[in-house]
Amino acid sequence: MLQVGVDVGGTFTDLFAWDPQAGLVRQAKVLSTPADPSVGFMEAIEAAAIDPAQIATVIHGTTIGTNALIERRYPEPALITTQGFRDVLEIGRQRRKHLYDPYQRKVAPLIERSRRFTVTEKLGADGATVTPLDRDEARRVAEEIAALGVSNVAIAFINAYQDGRHEREMRDILLEVIPDAHVALSSETRPKMRELGRFVTTAIRAALLPVVGDYLERVEAKLREAGTNAPLYIVKSNGGMMSAATARERPEELIESGPAGGVAAGSYLSSLMDASDLIITDVGGTSFEASLLEDGTGLVTDEYEIEWERPVITPMLDIRSIGAGGGSIAWIDDGGSLRVGPQSAGADPGPACYGRGGTQPTVTDANLVLGRIDPTLGGKLTLDVDAAAEAIRTVAEPLGLSVLDCAEGITRIVSENMAVAIRMVSTDRGRDPRDHTLVAFGGAGGLHAYEIARSVGIDRVLVPPYAGVACAFGATTMDVRHDLERTFYSPLAETDADALNDAFAGLEADVRALLSADDVSGADVVLERSAQMRYVGQSYEVTTPVPDGRLEAADVEALAGAFNAVHEREYGVASSDFPVAFVTLRVTGIGRTHKPRPDELAAALGTHAAGDSIKERRRAYFGGSHHDVEVHDVTRLVADQEIPGPAIIEQADGVIVVPPGSIARADRFDNVMLEAVA
Amino acid sequence: MTATTERKLDPITFEVLRRAFEYAPERMSQVLQKASFSPIIYDMVDYSNAIFDPDVELIGQTANCPVHIAAMHFSARASLARYPLDTLGPDDVIVLNDPYQGGTHTPDVTMTLPVFHDGELLAIAVSRAHWTDIGGNLDTHIAGEGLRLPPLLLYKDGQLNTELVEIIKNSTRTPQYVEGDIQAQLGALRAARDELQRIATKYGPETVKQGMTEVLDYTQRMTAAAISRIPDGVYEAEDYVDSDGFSDDPVTVRVKLTVAGDRIEVDLSGSDPATVGPINSPYANTASAIYYSLKFFLNPDAPPNAGLYRQIDLKIPEGTWLNPKWPSPTFGCTTAASSKITGAIWLALAKAIPDQVIAPGCSECNWFVATAADPATGEISVVSDLPAGGWGGTPFGDGMHVTMDPLGNCQNLPAETAELLFPVRYNSYEMITDSAGPGRHRGGCGVRLEVEFLGRGQIVTMETSRTREGSPGVNGGARASRQKQLRKRPGDDALETVGGLAEDGTWLPQMLGNVTFKPGEAFVFESGGGGGWGDPFERDPRLVAADVRNEIVSRERAAEAYGVVLTDALEVDEAATARRRAA
Repeated sequence: MLQVGVDVGGTFTDLFAWDPQAGLVRQAKVLSTPADPSVGFMEAIEAAAIDPAQIATVIHGTTIGTNALIERRYPEPALITTQGFRDVLEIGRQRRKHLYDPYQRKVAPLIERSRRFTVTEKLGADGATVTPLDRDEARRVAEEIAALGVSNVAIAFINAYQDGRHEREMRDILLEVIPDAHVALSSETRPKMRELGRFVTTAIRAALLPVVGDYLERVEAKLREAGTNAPLYIVKSNGGMMSAATARERPEELIESGPAGGVAAGSYLSSLMDASDLIITDVGGTSFEASLLEDGTGLVTDEYEIEWERPVITPMLDIRSIGAGGGSIAWIDDGGSLRVGPQSAGADPGPACYGRGGTQPTVTDANLVLGRIDPTLGGKLTLDVDAAAEAIRTVAEPLGLSVLDCAEGITRIVSENMAVAIRMVSTDRGRDPRDHTLVAFGGAGGLHAYEIARSVGIDRVLVPPYAGVACAFGATTMDVRHDLERTFYSPLAETDADALNDAFAGLEADVRALLSADDVSGADVVLERSAQMRYVGQSYEVTTPVPDGRLEAADVEALAGAFNAVHEREYGVASSDFPVAFVTLRVTGIGRTHKPRPDELAAALGTHAAGDSIKERRRAYFGGSHHDVEVHDVTRLVADQEIPGPAIIEQADGVIVVPPGSIARADRFDNVMLEAVA
Repeated sequence: MTATTERKLDPITFEVLRRAFEYAPERMSQVLQKASFSPIIYDMVDYSNAIFDPDVELIGQTANCPVHIAAMHFSARASLARYPLDTLGPDDVIVLNDPYQGGTHTPDVTMTLPVFHDGELLAIAVSRAHWTDIGGNLDTHIAGEGLRLPPLLLYKDGQLNTELVEIIKNSTRTPQYVEGDIQAQLGALRAARDELQRIATKYGPETVKQGMTEVLDYTQRMTAAAISRIPDGVYEAEDYVDSDGFSDDPVTVRVKLTVAGDRIEVDLSGSDPATVGPINSPYANTASAIYYSLKFFLNPDAPPNAGLYRQIDLKIPEGTWLNPKWPSPTFGCTTAASSKITGAIWLALAKAIPDQVIAPGCSECNWFVATAADPATGEISVVSDLPAGGWGGTPFGDGMHVTMDPLGNCQNLPAETAELLFPVRYNSYEMITDSAGPGRHRGGCGVRLEVEFLGRGQIVTMETSRTREGSPGVNGGARASRQKQLRKRPGDDALETVGGLAEDGTWLPQMLGNVTFKPGEAFVFESGGGGGWGDPFERDPRLVAADVRNEIVSRERAAEAYGVVLTDALEVDEAATARRRAA
């Protein structure tokens, strides 16, 4: 039976499926169908020639939530909030995005002002009632919302992280007026302190409830129609998965659903490689993404913003994205410096070499001119080398550079730009990138990987054979995962251990219930505790691991040491002189799934006879001169085969550049490892 | 074109270094923000970090507070004048905040660290942060504005000068933040050192220094090119602060811009003399305000470095409030003075480049410091916030609502943070209908802040202005609403004016000092909107209708100010609108 991973991205829908018993692996890449992504979803299954009856489980990564939010394609909800706080969603943190741009405008609020309502009510920061909910006013607001024809509603009150009783009371009144309303409460969505993040996250839940619900219904119907009742799981932003039923209730948790699959792929890879500290990179046409794995687990952040000052406060994998990719345009600025990106030629008109009317030089044009990509893309398309050279000439000449040296400069600058994203996930979080292996995903990942790695001092690069469908592959290796949190503001010295134990016990019971609803059996459950803690007086927290079991007063005291260690690593400073406080408690519930064993993967992927892997020879430009280089076919490499640079290795959907001074080595899983020549 | 030094680096290496010079201060700010203990730093982001070359020329600075853009240059120079570089070691840090020895106003504390590579001076890292409290009150003498530190060694060979720290802690209302903030600023300086040493190791220190030279020329070229596009001529305008807090008279900044080719001269002659009250702006602060106000229209993308200074000539006569002498008090310079310098310069630019300029925004930072006593224990907390106003309309669209003044980019205090940590209630932080200046492109809205004191409370200081009249529009745009400082009593809807212009025309100084509140009373502040851009009668009536539906503009104001008549369903009444607009 097949484990099927399907990742629907903006341009392509990727599929990876395997049946460990049968030694079978299937991959497919089809064009996405943005109008109804479930169409591309089913086309991928067809393209991979999968018999639906043979599907055991489908795990699905989707950008539907993110796209709906960014493009404002959702039934616009209403918001009900505390009197005096109508504009939290619009004011944000009152900062501007660009320090010196006089013409900037802020992104439109997720919910327009005319749909934001206030009611008289107030709880204090301690949860005590300051002003009871004005029920008459609440009913009038519900009626106004009904009159607008709105049926998805966010209810977000000040201090509701302490207690949701006023929000629930408001919901009851609303449901009397609009019985079939989709309602999101901030006290249920993510009961964490600081109103902006909680309000935004709740508004997002309200906006996405209908969007994700309808979409998953279509996908499930199509799967049933095709002849399978296999359970459908959805990739979450925290790096695990949840059932489709849970995803309908918690749609805000699938915002980074797509790239999270790549991190899971990295986790699985680390188990094969005996290399547990990885930096995962993914090169696309317009963006470059990076994330970091420590001990095989992706780092999580609580500071994700979907747009300027629109924080989403669910725990998310820390995946940083910058505008640099194959389509990034090279240009000369007012001061005469060569810049690359962030503007991109996109897919239309695309790079000059696509011959679709693009005339501006892009990174892809540079790689083509340098001989690093096959001008026929393996026979799929003919690229126009002359057009690429002509485009590059427009920036090379004013700088007094040859076309080739300028092209090589463009690849160097874009690699340096990409390296910034790596610093964001490593140095900026107190991790030394040099302790990590860089893993390159995405069809273009292998083109720049070595250069990017060297720029941050990394000397090992790994490109797996499924680099082009890494997110779909990763989806098939995921565990079920839920993170639940509650605010528990308490300085350590004043913390009542019983209250802390009760709080963790409550979260654990809730997490177990969620896992059970996702069909995880008790034996497969692993629970992890952590706390977001800070120095008293600070406003930023760091996530500190908390031991299992009953905590005694001495255990609570000992957490200060654990906190200081994490703080020192993340920010470079710590002091045992300052008192420490809990802010938020978190329980992560993991439902272990059965993953294919490495030998099964090797059997399915890596069994080919030793033979000549050289496809052709090509002239390529490296380090200021032309070289006659070998072009290898990755599928014909045998384990431990070594290829000294300069050389090029071609994959099904990608290219690996082996620059001079480096050497490539294959393994039995068709992974290619690049290292400096000793 | 102005002559610059020879370009020696290949364009690729230059571009890589240009990015690295941007990244080092960004990294400093991350460390500072995350490791700081003061809400004004970690929540309000009132700090800046910078790197300088060995000649103490600004090379790169973070996107936090424009008002620090040149001020840090004076701080670094004052520090190194006192402690010459050849006497400093790699773990020596100099601290200062004295407005007359390299500072601007006392709360801004600057630390300076020389960065060496293989024993050679490579760069200088500087971190400036606004500390929550350094003692002091509104006063007529600089000595009343809190502790003043001349350049002093805070760390010698990595050892903290604990005697100095004891003095600082004795002089502030918030001693609990002092050590944490010192540690955070030190962390920022070390982050810059790590980053600069990394690139020096990779590219060689000489290449990095050459990169610094060339990035200054680069910004200079971009600035010169932008100035060349402004028509030559002399452009004059003025703006004012409502009062210095100690007299009833407005205090005026008069600016004369002379554009000639690729240079601008900014002449502030004719501005008022130094004031008794604390709004005086030391030269460093005035220079900063001029540079950043112009930068918005002189190639904002150019790296913020000393290359910008080279195309701009300053005339700031000594003895005016914009270049005062000791002992004039300067507490309000970064806010009250800077934002009015921006207002005057933008109004002057409106005569030179009317199709490019934007209307002045609320033009205040509205920063206040309050104390709040716990009703049960009497313990005193210090609460600080800075409710922003609207930005002015632009040639291309409406101004932003409730956004920090150009001088900084600070966050407001979240209501839930305030209520959890301090004995106060935040009862409102909401946009004000009809606060935006009408225009073809209207300004953004101001905000209504209401802070209720649970025990006894006090506004220790508040710097503001624009209480006499709101910010002006440009190109026919109208004024925004004026700002208000009010007291609300429990069970009483009538609000009492505590500062600025009252409804009955009486005047109280708008620079608040020691205004007390009884338990249950609230301080209410209404910030102003941004000025309008262009004739409001030319605004698309559908946009006016949308504003009315969103209660940004009232139906009455739509008719009066925009000439747009709406039906009861709040749709445009085309015929009535046409009649009204023609009348």
